Amino acid sequence: MSPKVFVKEEKAQVQTPSLKASALSSSYSQYLVKFQSLIALFILCLIISLLSDKFLTVANGWNVMRQISVNICISVGMTLVVLTAGIDLSVGSVLALCGAITAGLLKFGIELPSQDLFIGFTLLGAVMAGMLTGTLLGTFNGWTITRFKVPPFVATLAVLTIARGLTMLYTKGFPISGLGADFAYIGTGWLLGIPVPVWISGVIVVMAVILTNKTRLGRYIYAIGGNESAARLSGININKVKTTVYAIAGGLAAIGGIIVTSRLDSAQPNAGISYELDAIAAVVIGGTSLSGGRGSILGTVQGAIIIGVLNNGLVLLNVSPFWQQVVKGLVILLAVIIDKANSKSE
Amino acid sequence: MQKKVIKYTVALILLLVVGYNSVYIKKLSEVKAASTVGKFDAAAYAQTFWKEKLTPGLTKANNLPELLTLLKSEKENAFKNYSHALGIGNLRYFLIKGEGKITAINENDISVTLLPDSVGKDVKIATEFVYGNAVRDALGILSINDFSNTMDMNNVSAELNKKIRTEIIPPFRAQAKKGDVVAFTGAIELNQAHLRLDEIEVIPVSLKLVRD
Repeated sequence: MSPKVFVKEEKAQVQTPSLKASALSSSYSQYLVKFQSLIALFILCLIISLLSDKFLTVANGWNVMRQISVNICISVGMTLVVLTAGIDLSVGSVLALCGAITAGLLKFGIELPSQDLFIGFTLLGAVMAGMLTGTLLGTFNGWTITRFKVPPFVATLAVLTIARGLTMLYTKGFPISGLGADFAYIGTGWLLGIPVPVWISGVIVVMAVILTNKTRLGRYIYAIGGNESAARLSGININKVKTTVYAIAGGLAAIGGIIVTSRLDSAQPNAGISYELDAIAAVVIGGTSLSGGRGSILGTVQGAIIIGVLNNGLVLLNVSPFWQQVVKGLVILLAVIIDKANSKSE
Repeated sequence: MQKKVIKYTVALILLLVVGYNSVYIKKLSEVKAASTVGKFDAAAYAQTFWKEKLTPGLTKANNLPELLTLLKSEKENAFKNYSHALGIGNLRYFLIKGEGKITAINENDISVTLLPDSVGKDVKIATEFVYGNAVRDALGILSINDFSNTMDMNNVSAELNKKIRTEIIPPFRAQAKKGDVVAFTGAIELNQAHLRLDEIEVIPVSLKLVRD
């Protein structure tokens, strides 16, 4: 042990009571910041369970988990995008288009009358096509943002409109229903006592945690969000990383779309409207900074659970849908204010 | 280099396996022929329903002026005894009949004052936007269980509405003039929770001019 360190320890041992108290309160506040989402979730659950006896039941628990699994899929992709200091407003529309394409290919296939050919799609084929569509749209987002330097807000807003229009064109404004029991299993089935959508979102979360914490791409994502110029100077291919991130977000939105379509046994042209806002809310409530570089997948999962529990609680408490929107908005606002306060104190 | 070759070979094999299990190709003519067998024909169903159920069922239609009076005085009873709907919700449908004097021929509807004059109530007969499930559900004889999926059920409504738009309304609209008296049967939709009797719109099933 070096003398310098020894001196420091000596000094620490003779701290005054006020300094000790200050250090203690600082460590408490650090814990509070670290676990703020969990604390908020706990308080929320406590309040709702006191007000409704239907809340703390196993059936309702699975119901909430099933409902939030779609938001988790989208939010994980959104987290990666936000970590690079970007935003993806197109996920709701991408979800709808991918759900419609999956349903359409599964039900109607592709007809080529001039060749007297019918290309039918199996469940695997339709799901893969849906996911490919989402990934391609995400890649398009990334390409316009990096190639033409279009602000992410504007580029993804454009794709939001494009994807919604394409959905309307593809479905002709009508739902595509009656997709079969095998497809319905994705959204409504159970595996080992757990709903299939929860398994899907769980696998996505695990993969995203590994991606952000254990891979080079994950480190690059944080680096770009923290300081893009520094990341570029250190040799990171910013455009490639950003495009990859938007492609992943598109692919995950597609998975969300497939789950929604399967749950409803119907691809709705209006599916996914304002889902991007729920995803952004989950990301922000989960502690990810909108300016990028700071946040985590697990935080986002907590944020998604908070929103899910809040939605479920408000319904159980018979709160008017209009008030539900007001409450959700206030919670998001509060989360952003707390995030700002945390950033300042850091 | 060798590593790259192995990587791309594995990816290609995987792609081929997935591709092979993803699509199948058939002759379109065969697929079309097979798909028509046992397929629900909403148009034929609607035609039969109209001829064999709805038209004879019009004898059970409620006299509109009397129904309106009842709705004002005994709303719950009126809904309970005379309205129908598939599923839950506040929107319910009544099969109605009545006579009225045409007061205006508008772009999307025809305004009539119900007769006898003592009723003094204005309603509209839809002539342009004929949508919804009022005609299908007002008789109250169809059940969700009669159909294998909701789309088939909704297609029946679409076919009934199409028939009204193309066969019932055009000949009537071509002849109708302000001041004429019209005898009508049809369906109306009312919201049980938020009842408004000042905006009644009749979806017509039959329209007959009775010259004054």
